[in-house]
Amino acid sequence: MDQEELKNLVVNKSVDARAVACPGPLLAAKKAVRELESGQLMEIMSADSATKRDVPKWAQKKGHEYLGTVEESGFFRIYMKVK
Amino acid sequence: MTIALFSGSIDKLTGASIILAGAAADDMDVEIYVLMQGARAFLKDVAGDPEKLGMAENPELKEEFLASLERLKVMPWIEFFREAKELADVKIYVCGLAGKMWGGEEVSDFVDLVDDIVGIGECITSLEESDIHLFI
Repeated sequence: MDQEELKNLVVNKSVDARAVACPGPLLAAKKAVRELESGQLMEIMSADSATKRDVPKWAQKKGHEYLGTVEESGFFRIYMKVK
Repeated sequence: MTIALFSGSIDKLTGASIILAGAAADDMDVEIYVLMQGARAFLKDVAGDPEKLGMAENPELKEEFLASLERLKVMPWIEFFREAKELADVKIYVCGLAGKMWGGEEVSDFVDLVDDIVGIGECITSLEESDIHLFI
């Protein structure tokens, strides 16, 4: 997906982990996935640079579909589809 | 994963808790055997108080370390342990001898995260059967 498509996604759950450092965003993503059903979309917001690689790798490892990352001012949004 | 947690210092406990968080995010089954210095850190009146824990490396920089944890909004180590137990199959066992060294005779002397008090035999068996072993 390109940036415009990602920005226009309507997600089922948005996780705001901007206030915490690694591994906070990863744990927040892990907890949020448990609340979603297969095929639903999730967004994780983080300001922690390590999370940019960590969460997509974790998502793919767990079988979820990593859709892409959108850069914002001071943070970024990671999008994924739950398996 | 089996972790033999010897250390009871704030820096090593923080490091261990972050590793544990990663393992929990990966749905790993983890058994933690709390040994020697670690047993003291899990006592009810010690676990939640960083002032009661030393720092293994650069002890003169402990205040800076704690200030950095707060600035970066890193959860206290004991809360990472708590979260890990909620997210994955994580068991925490305190070595009987280690517990007694610090006055911890029964499970109720330790924080509620501790599942049981065990002997070294269980720790060795767990290490034998695990794919990943860590000594912290």
